[in-house]
Amino acid sequence: MREYAFFLGCIAPNRYPGAESASYKTSEKLGIKLLDLEGASCCPAPGAFGSIDLDIWYAMAARNLVLAEEMKKDIALICNGCYKSIWEVNHKLKRHPELKERVNEVLKGIDMEFKGTIDVWHLAELFYDPEIVGVQKIRDSVKVPLEGTRIAVHYGCHLMKPKKERHFGTTEHPTWLEEMVGALGAEPVEYRNKMLCCGAGGGVRGYDLVHSIDITNEKMINLMEVKVDALTEVCPFCQLQFDRGQIEIEEKFGVKYGLPVLHYCELLGLAQGMSPQELALDLHAISCEPFLKKVL
Amino acid sequence: MVRTKGYPEALEKKLADTRLYEDEKNPDFTKAVEKISMTIPHMCFQCGTCTASCPSAPRSSYRIRKFVRRALLGLENEALTDPDLWLCTTCYSCTDRCPRDIAPTDVIMAMRNLAFKRDIVPVNFLKTVQAIYTTGHGVPNNDVNRAARKKLGLPADPPTTHGFPKYVKGIQHILDYYELKKNADRIVKEREG
Repeated sequence: MREYAFFLGCIAPNRYPGAESASYKTSEKLGIKLLDLEGASCCPAPGAFGSIDLDIWYAMAARNLVLAEEMKKDIALICNGCYKSIWEVNHKLKRHPELKERVNEVLKGIDMEFKGTIDVWHLAELFYDPEIVGVQKIRDSVKVPLEGTRIAVHYGCHLMKPKKERHFGTTEHPTWLEEMVGALGAEPVEYRNKMLCCGAGGGVRGYDLVHSIDITNEKMINLMEVKVDALTEVCPFCQLQFDRGQIEIEEKFGVKYGLPVLHYCELLGLAQGMSPQELALDLHAISCEPFLKKVL
Repeated sequence: MVRTKGYPEALEKKLADTRLYEDEKNPDFTKAVEKISMTIPHMCFQCGTCTASCPSAPRSSYRIRKFVRRALLGLENEALTDPDLWLCTTCYSCTDRCPRDIAPTDVIMAMRNLAFKRDIVPVNFLKTVQAIYTTGHGVPNNDVNRAARKKLGLPADPPTTHGFPKYVKGIQHILDYYELKKNADRIVKEREG
């Protein structure tokens, strides 16, 4: 069993606890144990904090990293926004000694020091990595194949972009998450402009909601063209934007889509036999019932 | 007008790119943007790939290419007072596609940092700061969610600063070090009374 410090972030534990619960249970079946990262905070939100003062963003993220360094465990997380903060600050502080010095000057006041001794991973990349889990093992863990469903993937932005700083290869047309959806027995579906942003990031959701959900609406139109049963993603903030965003789109633009949106861990949980109650799918703004009827 | 080419004045006027002779040009602004962003806006040849890749461009007057130009020309006021500065979703599509290896997204982030130093910042950004100062979370827990968590067999509050509030002190130390809470409270008060 590989052990990781589980960095929760905000939206998964505080809005979609089913995604958190599913992460523990699904990863345990795949040989990954997620440990509590006691005292972790918001990553902090890269849009809000990065825009105000990057130095504060570095210091706040570094505090979370040090908590895991003290546990001597790598971090695993399930949100692209958290990945941007936690992975990128770790990466930057390891490579820029003057930055590390600046951050440690602040952390000194709370008896902490960033050393750069751990790595940060998205749970989805650990699932895909054949040396850790791999698609075959995911396929073997499926008890309730999601057969007969068409599922589209939203990759989100901050996991893989900017590509020259990351390690995922192409950001124009990746297909690794589709492979992971296929492993659950569902049919992964391609759609127009798949890599378009959900519209929530950079503080835009709070700054100009109509602008933000107009981007979401463009994605929804593209998804409707290919008639999918559900959308899956690996970022609770994107999930919130697509899930609650559909309600906002209905209010502001008068268009109703009703497309269920599930985090990949929730989807994997269903395929591994977890019930909708165990995944708190009733907390989703858009009912997952039409999708559940097809698979259960 | 500054004469640079040694031509007769009428000809110089005709040839001059008026933007280059902008009185407001501030070379320090260019340097500050390059330092904070750790990228190279001066390499931009204005091809427009960034704007063409931008999800915000088709639905607003926000043009990322224009901001990179402003960085290069040192047009500080024009850049920092433009409300479009806050329409970047930081999706990094422009950064991935830039043929000059510039990170336009990071140019925007640097400009936002410089704008904040002049109290130019949307209130929603500051409210996130206030929430994190109090609870450690930008999106804090609530009662409906606590009940749902318990039903799932999870603790009502996650094992973060919510479950272990003693850690909030560390966060407050960091934010106070930069006087961010003080400034956030002041600006929110000025805007909302």
